[in-house]
Amino acid sequence: MTAAAEPAGRAARNKVMARFIDNERLLWPALLAPAIVYIVLLVGFPFLLSIFYSLSSATVATSDIHFVGLENFTRIIHSDTFWRSLWNTIVLTVISQFFVLVFAGILATALIKDFRGKWLVRLLILLPWVAPISLGSIGWLWIFDSIYSIINWTARAVGLFGEDFWPIWLGQPNLAMAAIIVVQIWRILPLATVIVLAGLSSIPQDIHDAAEVDGAGFWRHQFEITLPLVMPITLVAVLFGIIFTFTDMIVVFVLTRGGPYDTTQVIASWAYFTGIQGGDLAGGAAISLFLFPVLVAVAILFLIAARRSEVT
Amino acid sequence: MERTSHRRGISRRDVIQTAAAAGVAASVGPFVHVRPAKAAKTLKILQWSHFVPAYDKWFNNEYTKAWGEKNGTEVTVDNINLSLIPSRAAAEVSAQKGHDLVMFLSPPSVYEDQVVDMTDVYETCIKKHGKPIDLAVKSTFNPKTNKYFAFSDSFVPDPVNYRSDLWGEIGMKPDTWDDIRIGGKKIKDKTRIPVGVGLSAELDTAMAMRAVLYAFGAGEQDAEGNLAINSKNTVEALKFVTALFKEAMTPEVLAWDPSSNNRQILAGRSSLVLNAISVTRTGENDKLPIHEKIAIAKAAKGPVRRIGLEHVMDCYVIWKFSENIDGAKKFLVDYIDSFKDGFMASQFYNFPCFAGTVPDLGKTISNDPKAVPPDKYAVLSDVLDWATNVGYPGYSNAAIDEVFNTWVINTMFAKAATGAETPENAMTQAETAMKAIWAKWKERKLI
Repeated sequence: MTAAAEPAGRAARNKVMARFIDNERLLWPALLAPAIVYIVLLVGFPFLLSIFYSLSSATVATSDIHFVGLENFTRIIHSDTFWRSLWNTIVLTVISQFFVLVFAGILATALIKDFRGKWLVRLLILLPWVAPISLGSIGWLWIFDSIYSIINWTARAVGLFGEDFWPIWLGQPNLAMAAIIVVQIWRILPLATVIVLAGLSSIPQDIHDAAEVDGAGFWRHQFEITLPLVMPITLVAVLFGIIFTFTDMIVVFVLTRGGPYDTTQVIASWAYFTGIQGGDLAGGAAISLFLFPVLVAVAILFLIAARRSEVT
Repeated sequence: MERTSHRRGISRRDVIQTAAAAGVAASVGPFVHVRPAKAAKTLKILQWSHFVPAYDKWFNNEYTKAWGEKNGTEVTVDNINLSLIPSRAAAEVSAQKGHDLVMFLSPPSVYEDQVVDMTDVYETCIKKHGKPIDLAVKSTFNPKTNKYFAFSDSFVPDPVNYRSDLWGEIGMKPDTWDDIRIGGKKIKDKTRIPVGVGLSAELDTAMAMRAVLYAFGAGEQDAEGNLAINSKNTVEALKFVTALFKEAMTPEVLAWDPSSNNRQILAGRSSLVLNAISVTRTGENDKLPIHEKIAIAKAAKGPVRRIGLEHVMDCYVIWKFSENIDGAKKFLVDYIDSFKDGFMASQFYNFPCFAGTVPDLGKTISNDPKAVPPDKYAVLSDVLDWATNVGYPGYSNAAIDEVFNTWVINTMFAKAATGAETPENAMTQAETAMKAIWAKWKERKLI
């Protein structure tokens, strides 16, 4: 190639590139494509694979997979552990999200105000979200440990627990469930707080000023202005919280491994124990698929509710 | 006319070009490997982080390095937490890529289709060191397919660890399960220190509850591999554990992980636990005075027999997709030749599956420089007379493996012990779960 031809070729390439970049009809699909490819590869493909496994005889090791119809689902719904896990998953999600919603509202209302050290408080609140779940759960494991529980030793030191009172947080079904709920609240609260805080920040000050001129007090501000305006974004926070809690197995795995005697087992942990530890990949896939219709229904309901509660 | 931009800033075009380049780099980057210069062959080993850290130090830094140099192989050892081994193995099988040698801590029967037959490794070792112990064969051989799906170099005894001072004060020794119940209650009533036999979803409980089950003449299966959990003996075993829990233990055993019983007895909060000698070794190595008060006893005797489990069964597998199958096999054979060093490095934790590799085992463990008294571990010299495999009296098979790893037996005992179910109901529920598991693996022709 001659020296003159080289700049000419580069100019031609630049022209094609420029035509592509300046053409918005071509550009938006190109910009969206990576996200779609990402979702298809990391969400769509595993989901389809789960459906395939759940209808097959797959184990963690078998190479001879054949179609077994709904046999895995039939076996699962005849298992007491499955129903217990489903119930626990729902109870855990509902109770933890209720408290997350209440606490996030309180925290966001406090954090919207100006005060000294606000950045530090915000940082501390965000920490549980930044730390890996497994690390946080191990910390909680020690907090609830039967021998070294800091809760028990502190309560005994200040005289709250007597000589004969020593709760075994992870060894009694109700206490174990309560412990898991506490950790889930601790885990999800930062995200919900940040989302609600963003909602509060987006309310124009002049609305509050106008209400104040009209003589509205604190509660009227809260229930007639703040709540309706932050409702759509709060519903998004709750939706995220439900999804994260419903699909999480790490907290249960680290704290109780489903015990005592399966009383804290949740769908995600039971799917893991069956599919990976037990080697029954098909059974594990079938168990985990029960999460899907519930989460789709919840997502649709919440998105509809969020749309309807939008203040225009 | 050519349009020239005189603005010195970042245009939309620049942003898109940069973003596209960064995206391509981020997507392609992980797939670009720069291979450093290395030995002609590699051998990648995956195993647990040993409870006795000195073993890992010897294995990783001395033995494998020396073996690698001698065999022109770069040996890599990855140590991971024992609870992560099943998920890591499943991921490797799914990807059909990973380590050449993977060590499980219980018989990995469900992986039989994915692993190479170890018959030739056993045969070579038999020629050099004599027959392996029955425990090793029962844990790694499938009589249905006539295949050794794993190779076991060693096992870990699971004796009774008890506080000699507390048991001495009541004038008893924990020789039988009844002794443990009666003596445990006396100690708890007197000192508020309970017995610590796990009733949780974890490894130590799985072993302890099987020890009770087998000592009472019950079992998950019979010698031919047929489901046999539904028996009078199982109900008796369940009734016994219920009494033991109510009289001599506390609910904390329902929440335990595999190291909880170690912590409990070393903290002075338990009169007796079932565990490997990692309990006393930790006490000795960390110079905790309490280790001198902890004695070791044989597995407890039940109404039918004296029997205990292996605490950990080392089971090495070689994937069919391993890149160095021959090297992995040679490594195992050579490792058995040097097993005495491994036995010493593990501080008597790993017992040999080829007894000939440590011919003076009894004498060696009877004079331990760290132990107080020095013959503390002498009681383990006849361990093969009372230690057995998971799945006794049959072989460890895929159904036994799934029952073990989904904690069916642990849950059965915990339900009965806490009164959540009657012993009969707890057994029936376990049987229902096990029937489904047996049917599935029979259908898949592995049992």
